[in-house]
Order: sequence, then C-alpha cells, then structure tokens
Amino acid sequence: MRKIFVISLLMVLVLSVLSGCWNQKELTDLAFVMAMGFDKGENKKFEVSFQIVNPGNVSSGQNGAGQGLPIAVYKSAGNTLTEAARNATKMISRRLYYSHTNLIAISEEVARDGILDVMDALDRDPEFRTTTQIVVARHSTAEELVSALTNLDKLPVNKITKELKTTESMLGENTRVNIDDFLAGLVSNGKEPVVNGYIVKGNKEQIGRADDLQKTKTETFLEANGLAVFKNGKLTGWFEHEKARGVVYVLDKVQSTDINIPWNGKKHAITMAPIRTKTKVSVHFKNGKPIINIAIEDEGFISEANTDVDLTDPKVIEKIDKLVEKEIKQQVMESIKDAQKIKSDIFGFGERVHRANPKLWKKLKGNWDNQFAELKVNVKVDSYVRREGIRTNPFWFNMNK
Amino acid sequence: MEKAKIKASQMFILVVLFEMGSAILVGLGVQAKQDAWMAVLLGLMGGLLLFLIYYRLFKYYPDLPLTSYLQKITGKWIGGLLGLLYIIYFIYMATRVLRDFGELLTTTIYTSTPLIVINSLMILTIMYGIHKGFEVIARVGELYFGIVYFMAIAGIILISVSGLIHIEFLQPVFEYGWKPVVGTALKQTITFPFGEMVVFTMFLPFLNNHKKVKLACMGGMILAGINIAITAAINVATLGAELFTRSNFPLLTTIGKIQLANFIERLDVLFMLYLVVGGFFKISLYFYAAVAGTADLFKFKNHQMLSFPIGFIILFASVTIASNYAEHIKEGLDVIPVYLNWPLQIIIPCFLLVIAFLRNRKKKKTPSAS
Repeated sequence: MRKIFVISLLMVLVLSVLSGCWNQKELTDLAFVMAMGFDKGENKKFEVSFQIVNPGNVSSGQNGAGQGLPIAVYKSAGNTLTEAARNATKMISRRLYYSHTNLIAISEEVARDGILDVMDALDRDPEFRTTTQIVVARHSTAEELVSALTNLDKLPVNKITKELKTTESMLGENTRVNIDDFLAGLVSNGKEPVVNGYIVKGNKEQIGRADDLQKTKTETFLEANGLAVFKNGKLTGWFEHEKARGVVYVLDKVQSTDINIPWNGKKHAITMAPIRTKTKVSVHFKNGKPIINIAIEDEGFISEANTDVDLTDPKVIEKIDKLVEKEIKQQVMESIKDAQKIKSDIFGFGERVHRANPKLWKKLKGNWDNQFAELKVNVKVDSYVRREGIRTNPFWFNMNK
Repeated sequence: MEKAKIKASQMFILVVLFEMGSAILVGLGVQAKQDAWMAVLLGLMGGLLLFLIYYRLFKYYPDLPLTSYLQKITGKWIGGLLGLLYIIYFIYMATRVLRDFGELLTTTIYTSTPLIVINSLMILTIMYGIHKGFEVIARVGELYFGIVYFMAIAGIILISVSGLIHIEFLQPVFEYGWKPVVGTALKQTITFPFGEMVVFTMFLPFLNNHKKVKLACMGGMILAGINIAITAAINVATLGAELFTRSNFPLLTTIGKIQLANFIERLDVLFMLYLVVGGFFKISLYFYAAVAGTADLFKFKNHQMLSFPIGFIILFASVTIASNYAEHIKEGLDVIPVYLNWPLQIIIPCFLLVIAFLRNRKKKKTPSAS
C-alpha cells in the first residue's frame, strides 16, 4: 500500500519536470527576425530596423501563398542594441527571435563611425548566429534596405544572401562576409575587413510597397554594389568593379568571372570566362623585408570572340592566354596599389608575414599600416584557355574572307 | 565496498568518456593559443607518467581502493585524514563538473531556466545510477560510447566537408616559444583532465582481470588525449587563435559554423547531446568515488544509502561554489590546479609510492632473513 502511494506521488512530481514546459516558446509567440538594419539615431545612438517574417504569407507550395506582404519592418531606437531590441517590444506583439537572422545591414553613416558598438552584442548572444552576413547600405539608410521587397524570392533576405553567393562565384566583385569574418579582420593586426555594399536603386518612394511588385520591372530593386574597406573599425573607402574583383582575387574567392581582352586593335574583342581560379599568396624575405608573391592560376573557355581570330590555332590560344594574364595582373595590381594608398591591408598580407616569420612580425606589427603601404608585391598569373564553346572560329573569320 | 566486477573493455570506455568529459567542451589549453593541441599532447604524456604511479600503488594493494591503502601506507589516523581529504576533493570536483554542465546549458539554450533546476535534473539521474551500482554505470558507458563516437565522426566529417578548416591558422607554431606550451601543460592539461585519473584508483580493484589495468586505462587515456588534441586543433583551424581564445565554449562555436547544402546547419544539438553524455559520466565517476570512499572509510555496509546525502551536497554546492561564471572559471584555472590538483594528483601519490616502496621492501626482506 505504501509502495503504491510513493510511486504515484513520484509520478505526479515527475510530471511537472518532464513536460518540458519550463521556458517553452510557441511558434505563434515568436517573431522571427530575418534582418536587422542599423542607422544613426537622432536622440539615441542607434535606430534599429527589425525585418520580421510574416509566416502565413511566405508558406511555400504551388498556390498556398498568402495574400499579404511577406515581411513587416519595425524600427526602434536605443543607445545599445539590447536597449533598442527591448524598446521594440512596445511595438511588436511577439517575442523577437534571432536564431534565423541572416543579414545585418549597416548604414554608411554608422559604418564610418560607431559600428564597433553593435558588434559585441551580435558576437555574444547565444541565440544570434555569427555566420550571419553583414552588408553596408550605400546611398540609402539601412532601414530602406531592409524594408525593400523583392520579386523572385519572397523573402528579401534570401534574395540578398543568395545573390551574394551567386555573384561571388559568377563574377567575383563581391564576396560573402559574415560577422565572424568581419570581427576576425577587426581584431587582427595584419588584416582589415571588407564588407559588401548594397544599394537600393530606383524610386525610394516605392520601397516596401506591394504594388511595385505588380510590375515586371519594379521601380526599386536591390543590388550588390562595391566593397567597403575598413580601417581601424571605420569605413574608409569603396572598391568598385574591377578593383573590387582584384581584391576578391587576392582573397581567393573568385571562381568564375569574365575577362575582356583587345584583339586586332579592337577593344573588348575576346571574352574569356574562367571556370576555376586558384590564388596562392606566399611570403619570402629579402634583407629582413617581406615580399609578397601572389600566384593566380585559372582555366576556362572562350565565351565570345567578336573579331576575326583563328581559334583553331594553338599559337593564337597561347597569345590569348598571355593577354588574359596581363589583364588579370593589371586588375589585381591596381587593387593592391589602391589599398596601399589608403594603407589598409584588406588582403591579410600581415597575417601571412606573421605566420611565416613571427619574430620579424613582432617588429613590424606596430607600424604595419605604413609597412604595408611600401610593401613589394609580385603578381604572377597563369591562365589557360581550355576550350572555346561549340564553334571553332567565329563567324567573323568567314565574313571577311 | 561494493562487489562490482567489470570487464577491461568497460573500464577502457569509462576512462575515455571520463577523460573527454568536460575537457572537450571548454577551451582546453587556451593559454597556449594556436599550440593548444601540443599542450594537450604534452599533458597526456605527463598524465601517462602519473598513471604509472597510480598503477604501481595499485600493484602493491591490488584489492584495495585508494582510501583503504592510504591507511595501510600512512597509518590509521593520517591515512584516514588523507582519505577524507580525497573524498572531499572528489565531491568538490563532481560539484565543479556539475556547475560546468549547468552553466553551459544556461548560457546557450536554457537562457532563462534557473541553474538549480537543470542541475537537479542531472544529479537526480546520476543519483539513480549510483544507487544501481558501478556495473550499471559501466554498462551505460558501453551504450553511449558508440553514440558519442558516431557524433564525433559525423561532426568531423561535416566540418571538413564544409571547408571550414584552415590549416594555416595553426601557424606560427611556437610563436611565443615553448614556454607557454610547457607552462600550460604543467599548470593545466596534466592535471585537467589527465591527472584526474586519480579517481580511478578507487575503481581499479573492480576490474575482473588485473593484468589488463594498464592496457585499459592507458589505452583509454591515449585515445581520449588524441581526441581532445584533435578537437583543439580543429577548433583553432576553424575559428582562428583569436576567436578560439575569446570563446567560452570553442567547440560550440565551431559546430555552429557548419553550413552545408543549405540545410545541414545549426547542429548545436550535437554539442548539447555530447555535453549531457560527457557530463553524466564525469560527474557519476567522481560521485561514485566519493560514495565508495566514504563507505570504505566509515565502514558502511551498504553504499547505496550514501548516494542521496552526497548527491544533495553536490547539488547545493554546485549552485553556491561561485556567484558567477567568471569566478567559477577563474577558480578552475588559477586556484584548483595549484592548491588541489597538484598536491592531490601528483605530490601525495608520489609520497605514497615512496613510503609503500620502503615498507614493502622491508616486508620482503624479513621473511627471507628468518
């Protein structure tokens, strides 16, 4: 009798623990923050825009999609990120949930001054992921960037993260940078971080309006634009187009791209598209000074030949290889020179020196910015055209006969 | 003393799980920065030497646990006092591991659950295990060994396939010379986790085949040491030395970085699973050593009645030993190794061995003389 009593008492007691309801969060009580935008505040230090997914309206399926907008944006202010997030609870009925945050947008103004004050909150929070990507909103506020709607991907955040992935591998003027990468660059003496720029193009009045999406050509759209260069935690400059590509080349993130070369005196006559690119950066020392060697190796195919050229001749191919090598080398050299001008070691050469010669690095580290500006860098490119599509010679070849 | 008998393979598994326990979770050897893995291996070598001391002692008294032969070697009073010291040490270490376990869960996923709730769930499970006896714990070990290894191998494959490993982060080797590495090994990695093998002096008599003690225990230590060193190296190669030193739980950060094929990501749950398994065994073994020691020292016929009082001591101490995590870690890094681990794991066993050696030599000589 006593045993039955004890067992049933235990069962009741255990019930309260095993139900697992201590700190339960129902899906319907959570607001999934997809992106956060940081702007400079008027009274408070920051204005933070939270892009929250509206789950009912993004449900996938053939015709299951809802009618309303996929996202909602709330803006709140605070002197710290936590303060802003807590202030936001006055506007949002659900608990903000950061595990699925995929994008941090920072306005140019904040990037120039004050970005450091939000980083620790992002780094420390157990819910937030440091694999979240970070972008700088160019020529617009971060609020506008996170409020914009997109048409191919329902969730604007997905558009941005997917786009960065695609453009990194197809063009190589942007590269994915997450919070971890950014912080690693900030902390390291021998490396400065770069961050993608993002731009809201078109009519700003139309940002976040559903009727804009009814057009095939929306009036506003988002575009990856340039690489922001940081120095001592502050945005100092932008690298655009070929120069940005040069940076991405050195960082070994370019896979494919397009290289135009002149032929027969015609500019942009032949386009070579590499499909595999590999960059190796090494250091050697001469008279106690580091010299950086960059070896780029790529192979690809000819995607266009808009001139009279005999592509069946291996000698011609070899000549094209040489011209492509020259073009890539020039792009890379220009990026390096520009970075040296602003004394910002975005390539991480300092870290290479550190790894190769820790003793010398101790001497150089204090004055690395100036050392970097005068660093000798050799670039060697080996490019190989492997094939030329499904035509041998271009039609120009027969046309002029 | 309980009359438990376990197989050599079970002993081996217990050693591996015990050694890896919490050592894999916290940034072991973090003071040596990118050379952490070397500090771990150096610690392993020291730990193996230490184990030889414990093994010699065991050879002199193959049927007795530490608390009994302490009294044989140093006399009833001093031995009893030292035994009590060891029991308190085991309780305290169990407390620390329980706190580690609770802190990890409260900082990472159960952010608003009180520490004592998480800790009591764990300790209640362990008390049940202790109540059932050592053989049961050993069998549970066999069960979980496979699961832990499956997770570890899956984790390593996923990390390397995700392209997260940058071998160059392990360079420069010996950036600050060999001193920090040796210093870290002496101060930390020898004693934690390898010197903690002192707990097994309580369990060695349980092994059914005494010839296999060396193989099972040292094999287990080597395997665990290599695993910890690999983990340290992977952590550094994934996070870089700088983030590695800045992380409370580097392995958690490393696992959080896995992003594969757009859907294999956020695998923190692997870490949590390991945490619960590893925590269970480490606390259980310390706890059991304390229980067995007390039963032995105070001549309890039945050790089972001790599991509840000692369990509650561990539970309440785990909440009160430090008022915050920083204090807990600071004690673990600066106070424990110098004032507890070194004396109890290294100095006292060395003295014991010397005295035991002298006594036994006398013993051997007397019969031959007569």
